[in-house]
Amino acid sequence: MTDENKKPNKTGLPRKGFLAVAGSATGALIMLQASKPTKASRNPSGAEPGAHKWGMVIDINLCIGCNYCTYACQAVNDLPVEMKYNKVTLEETKTGAEFYLSRPCMQCEHPPCVHVCPVGATYVRDDGIVTMDYDLCIGCRYCIVACPYDARVFNWKKHVEPNAFTPEYGHPEVERRPRGVMEKCNFCEHRIDSGLARGLVPGIDAAATPACVDVCPTGARVFGDLNDSESPISKILASTKTPIRLREDLSTEPKVYYIPPQAEVTTSSEEEL
Amino acid sequence: MDNTIRIPKIRLGSREFDAFYIWFAVLSLGFAFGVVGAYQVLRYGLQVTGLTDQVPWGLWISIDLSSIALGGSAFVFGVIVYLLRLKRFEVVGRLAVLLGFLGYSTASLVLLFDLGQPLRFWHPAVFWQSHSLLWEITMCVILYLGILVAELLPVILEHPVFSEHTLIKKNNFFKKISEFLKKLSHFLHKAGPALAVIGLSLSLLHQASLGATYGVLSGRGLWFSPTAPILFVTSAMGGGTALLFILSVFVFRVMRPGLVADKTLYDVARISGAMMLLCTYIRLWDWAVTNYYSFDNIVATQKELLNTIAPYSLAFWIGQILFSLIPGALLLSSKRVRNLSKYPLLGSRFGCGFSLLARWTCREGPTLSQVGMAFPALVLFLHPGDIFRTANSYAWDVDASQNARLRDCRLRCL
Repeated sequence: MTDENKKPNKTGLPRKGFLAVAGSATGALIMLQASKPTKASRNPSGAEPGAHKWGMVIDINLCIGCNYCTYACQAVNDLPVEMKYNKVTLEETKTGAEFYLSRPCMQCEHPPCVHVCPVGATYVRDDGIVTMDYDLCIGCRYCIVACPYDARVFNWKKHVEPNAFTPEYGHPEVERRPRGVMEKCNFCEHRIDSGLARGLVPGIDAAATPACVDVCPTGARVFGDLNDSESPISKILASTKTPIRLREDLSTEPKVYYIPPQAEVTTSSEEEL
Repeated sequence: MDNTIRIPKIRLGSREFDAFYIWFAVLSLGFAFGVVGAYQVLRYGLQVTGLTDQVPWGLWISIDLSSIALGGSAFVFGVIVYLLRLKRFEVVGRLAVLLGFLGYSTASLVLLFDLGQPLRFWHPAVFWQSHSLLWEITMCVILYLGILVAELLPVILEHPVFSEHTLIKKNNFFKKISEFLKKLSHFLHKAGPALAVIGLSLSLLHQASLGATYGVLSGRGLWFSPTAPILFVTSAMGGGTALLFILSVFVFRVMRPGLVADKTLYDVARISGAMMLLCTYIRLWDWAVTNYYSFDNIVATQKELLNTIAPYSLAFWIGQILFSLIPGALLLSSKRVRNLSKYPLLGSRFGCGFSLLARWTCREGPTLSQVGMAFPALVLFLHPGDIFRTANSYAWDVDASQNARLRDCRLRCL
């Protein structure tokens, strides 16, 4: 027998064995993906997919910069003082007029944070809310890097202090998150889900509406179902000439709309910015 | 062939020290330092790092990303040895595989301490989110570590302890294990070309994805870069090979002289130099394109902000162009440099040192981190807690882009 004839016999069997082991391991992993334990638990409201699309309108003309939305959010979501889902900043138009910009999570249609998460811990619910699975999150913080709106906050340390905003602004309604996971505004999904289960209408009944909307003293925030043309938010959007969304150039399709300062809109056409 | 390993002596005046023990002491010091840092992070959480929501990834992300890059020689030499079948690189190739294994395992270990939930390190392997670049990198690194182990095992199993130990002759059980290991080693050696191909694809995939990790962040005008993947691949090949050159000069000139011909070592240097110059060339085009598109509102705002905080352009030209051009040229013409220089090794070693700087600065090209990134060693003298705060201040570019983002929000709004 020549050397050339020997070769396949020598290596043929182990190679087959190697391929079999590698193939079955890959197959097992792929099967595992099909039966992910989290899939079923991701539609807690029980509403049929696509029935609702929750959105928010913030009227900049009405905002007085009182920060109540931030505080109520921190009370209800049991956040420490330095962690804010909702941020209010003093901004200035090109013509120098000052205004307050309050920013919750924009609840993007195509959220950059969801695309980058390596474990699928953050995801878009059927009703359009971008939310978190705290049990999956590994704390790599890629989502915070990817978010163009500065909407995400990380648990750098364990939150042990008592809630600083209770009872003035509300009471904690959700469990505290552990150290080392990412979290974000989720339109108070616990209120929406339990409200729908009780037959309430989010955006109309206060118990089913996000805390920041309930607490706003000037009614600058309106919450509701963008799919329902009769909801207050749809009516406001229909009657507003130029609702604005932040950073539309990124094609994230936010579901939070702004009504810009009226004086500015009438005097200048800065839309091309 | 001379089979003994020579440990160089360090002379201080009339006294002589064994370099091995000094080096070991330095390593132990570094290790002790790392243990303190690791304890702090695990005990008190990531708050000790001084990172914030505005600067969520600090300097140490860059450091462990560069340890992946410095392992880049493994796939280059896997291809050279197993696919191109260049026999003279075989011995250097073994060193490359070891280097790759060290680089990748270092990165995996360091990343563990950078997770908010270190005990969930296994989640990406089980809960797939295949759209995520970070997921792809994790999977590639896990698989590639396996490949490196498979490539490394035959080399380790060559050690006589696995075939000639007295226990093997006495005990039947150990004899069987020894025979199995021999077969395994033979099989893995035979599978070399296949492993090289898989290793090459995995390496190219994740080195490119590391670049894309920054490159896809459309919200950050200066990070967003379609060139980032190719920059990261070429800089990993250049930088990894440069480190391999340093080590092989040390190992094959000082510790085991005569094992590898000098010509081969110069070839290693030339590969590294060529890759480095290629990387610089692409970086220059990337720079030109960024400038061309700087009429873009976001890019312009962020550049303007960067220039108010630091001499961004100067740092770019010195840190990213000069620091990769000079060592690149030096390495490429290493043979001539050697002949010209009075101290042949010194010349090429300087080249290597510079090439490492280039490695860091090139790597951080897309993140626009500056020359400061190349001197993490300076930071080692500070208190562990301070290290991460210093890391923070190096990450000012992140802060700047954050500000730019907000400013842009405001412009956009009205």
